[in-house]
Parts: sequence; structure tokens; C-alpha cells
Amino acid sequence: MRKQIYKLTSFLVTCILSILLLNSCAPSRLIRPLEKGQKVIGANIGGPLFSYSGTIIPVPLSALMYAQGITDNTSVFGSIHTTSLLFGVAQTDIGVCQRLYYNDSLRLGISVNPTLNLADVFWPQTAGAFKCWPQLDLNVYWEFKPHKSFIYAGIENWFELAQQRADEQPQTTHWIFCPQAGYTYARPKWNYSIEMKFIAPNIDNLPNVVSYQGINGMGALGLYFTVIRKI
Amino acid sequence: MKKICLLFALFAVSLSSCFKLDSQLFNNLKCTQYLLDNYTGTQDFILGNSYKIPDSLIHIFTLQSQGPGENSPTQIYAIYIGDISKIATDTVIMYCHGNKWNMDFYWQRAKLLANTGSKDQYGVLMVDYRGYGMSSGTPTENGMYADVNAALQWLSNNGLSNSRLIMYGFSLGTAPATMLTANPRSMVPSKLILEAPFASAATMVDDASQLDLPPSYVTTFQINNAQEIKSVKQPFFWMHGLGDTFLNWQTNGLVVYNNYQGSYKQKVLVPNANHGQVPAFDGFTKYSSDLYAFIKM
Repeated sequence: MRKQIYKLTSFLVTCILSILLLNSCAPSRLIRPLEKGQKVIGANIGGPLFSYSGTIIPVPLSALMYAQGITDNTSVFGSIHTTSLLFGVAQTDIGVCQRLYYNDSLRLGISVNPTLNLADVFWPQTAGAFKCWPQLDLNVYWEFKPHKSFIYAGIENWFELAQQRADEQPQTTHWIFCPQAGYTYARPKWNYSIEMKFIAPNIDNLPNVVSYQGINGMGALGLYFTVIRKI
Repeated sequence: MKKICLLFALFAVSLSSCFKLDSQLFNNLKCTQYLLDNYTGTQDFILGNSYKIPDSLIHIFTLQSQGPGENSPTQIYAIYIGDISKIATDTVIMYCHGNKWNMDFYWQRAKLLANTGSKDQYGVLMVDYRGYGMSSGTPTENGMYADVNAALQWLSNNGLSNSRLIMYGFSLGTAPATMLTANPRSMVPSKLILEAPFASAATMVDDASQLDLPPSYVTTFQINNAQEIKSVKQPFFWMHGLGDTFLNWQTNGLVVYNNYQGSYKQKVLVPNANHGQVPAFDGFTKYSSDLYAFIKM
């Protein structure tokens, strides 16, 4: 019984610490811009993979999103990070999905998502806790049939603008990049996506308080699931 | 559309119960009795028979801990190694243990400290913070400071002088050790020893996220050894494993060490030692002789 309680406590600690770590990483909101006037809502869950008692699982980070097509090539989106809400943090990412290129015969497209990730503490209220992280995603996608299911690959880029981190130490990491690939299964009303990321492949994942599952001791692999409802 | 927006808002609000990591960061384990040498759980190391403490020098007792602003005391458990009747003339190490489990896990460390320099050389006092082991209550940051202070009050009541009090903190225990050396309550420690300290709650968050993430996003902890150490004037000894995969020695211990502005400081960086492995990887003999030299100087 004592062991079981300890295991549960240990799992909670690991889970919650994992939620804290790299909590900024989320799947790409839109890969392919929506059609003009189209509106969708969505939800995603997933995060970095970590090891717990020999089992590798993704951290259950979650967010809700809304997106709308402005033109056939441009969509806007916004989200609420529901996991962050649990910690008294209001976090959102708002951005634009812009198609840069599309080849009709190849059904191949390139899109870019400039995004602002904004966060602030609402409980307990704390001065100076507002943060803004610019983000830029670049993705290439290939449709199996026009406007149908597609696969994609790209890179997510996070930028830390602060020059100083805790305890008046210099902030040395200003760019975190994450190569990513995914698949979107498109249905008339619903889209389902699975995405895999390699978060911060250039950064050692030790020392760290969580056993992240990276590659050769670097970064963390992330797994994300997204459901989108067309409205 | 309005219905969907409303659903979004309701869902968001329903999730916003606003908890922080504070309580989760205490990895406490309750127990119904202390097993000490009979403890068979995982330990960082197990000492040989030469370090055995005679039963007559092992005292398990309770203390009443009450911090500022608390309405009632909390009963906590303590272990003293040594002759209580000689505390007034002994040198005593106040050992503040880490966040893991309870005093059984740290018993070997306490024995090692008691045998620093020679057999049964020093008195060693440690407590299970509230919520740990057999101690009542729930762990909190301020409760932890109150609990260590209750132990210091007990030492003071038994005649220990400030000049013979050595404060030792390991990992999480570096927080009360540094806090109560920088801001003394019942007693003023004469020296401070920190093994594998963390710099602050903020540093832990930043190390983990690689971002300049405000600590208030996840914790209300105010722990800040990197700042508190600036008020410590007593001699200071820092130990850290260079292979510490939990608390980076450069972003944590080194910051604390560099921020120290007192009269004397020294450090031992142990190659390959992970968190909790400093005594074993340094070698018990060298570890003890380094500590002994620091305490005696």
C-alpha cells in the first residue's frame, strides 16, 4: 500500500513537472489554410514523451482553438491553453496561417504560421509575469486528393526574447526549433490529425527533473492528437 | 456560433481550478515507525558496521513546530544522534534532509556525519518536515522553515551555543539551511554546508523549460538560495556532483557559491557524482575529512 501511494505520488509529480516543462509546445494549429469564410473549432492533446516506470507516454497538454478562413490563402486562429488554465495561467497563441505556394498538379503546398504566444498569471496575481514568445512554423503538405487528407512536414520555431533568466543569469537559449511531421485525415465535418515533433534536438535533455525521451540524449520527442470540427 | 463560444468559455472556466506545483514538489512518504538500520528501501548508499551508532546515542522524539502566523503547533518527529546531556559542550550538525521520502532514507547520511573526523564525533539532529514520515500535517515552504527552527530551539533549550552549531542542507534541505542561516530565528549557525543546492524555484523552472518562464506560472514557492546566500556571513562550504542530472551544478550550486559574500568559502566538485552520490563518489573518508577540516577551522 505504501509503495502504491509512493508510486502514485511519484507519477503525479512527474506528470505535473512534465506539464510545466516545455509546456509551450503544441501542434501546429493549421497546416493548410481554410477556405474563405470557413470556421472551425478544435482541440488537441499531447506533449513531450517521457518515461514513467518503464512506460513511455506523452504529457497530456491540452488546448482549444478556433480558426477562420479570411481568404482561400489566409486563415487566422486563436487558442486557449487549458492545461495552463489549471495553473492559473491565461495562455493563448494567436496567429495567421498563410499559404505561400500551391501546385495544383502535384497537390503540394507550403504554408507559414507567424504566431504570438502570450501568457500571464491570473492566480495568484503576480506583477511582471506577462510573457510573449513569437513563434514561426513553416510546413510543406501534400494532399492525397485535392482538398482531402494530407501529410505534412515542417519546422516549428520558438523565440525567447528575454536577455536574462532567473537569478540574474544570462538567457543563453533564444531559439528553440522543433522538426515535425504529421498526418491529417479529413472528413466532411471532422478532421483528425496526429503529429510527431522532435523538440529542441540541439539541447541536452540532461540535467533535467524529468526523463524526457529524446534521441541520443538530446531534446524530447513529442506526440500530439488534434480533432477539428468544421462549423 | 454564440453557443459554441459559450461552451468554450464554460469549459475553460471549469478547468481553471488554479492549482500550483507546491505540494507536489514535496516527495514525502508517511510511515508508522522509523526503521533506521533495519530500513530495506532504496538508499543512496549503505555504510559498513564501523559507522554503526550505539543504541544509547539514538534518540527519536517529537517536537512542536509553530511558524509565524500559525494558530496551532504541528507535531513533528526528530532524531538526535549523540548524548543529549552533553549537547551544551558538543558540536552539533543540524542536518536538513532532501525532499525524498523520510528520515529512514537519510539515516545513513546522518550516521556518516556523526562519525565525521572520528567515531561518534559530532551530534547530529534531523527532523522529518511536517507531512514526512511520522510527522503530522502537510508539507509547506514556511512549515519547513518552522520545523527546522523548532529543532534549533530544542538544541538551544539543551544548552547548545551558536558557535557549536553547524548547519547542513542537502537538496531541498538547502532551503531551510540557507534561510535560517541568513535570517536566524532561534539560533545563529556558525557555519553553513550545502550539498547539491538549487539556486531558486525560478532557476528550476527555467532549467526545465529552457525559457525565461516566470516561476509564478507553476509555483508560489519563494525559495531563493541564490539571494539568501548574499546575507550569509558565516563560513560556507559547497559540495556538488559534476554528474548531477537533476540539479545542474552550473546553474544552481555555482550561482549560490558565486553570490556568497561572506568571509570564507570553499567547494568540492565531485566528478561523475549524480544527485545524492556526493558522499559515496567523493569517498566517505575524503568526504569526512573535508567536512572535519571545515568544521574545525
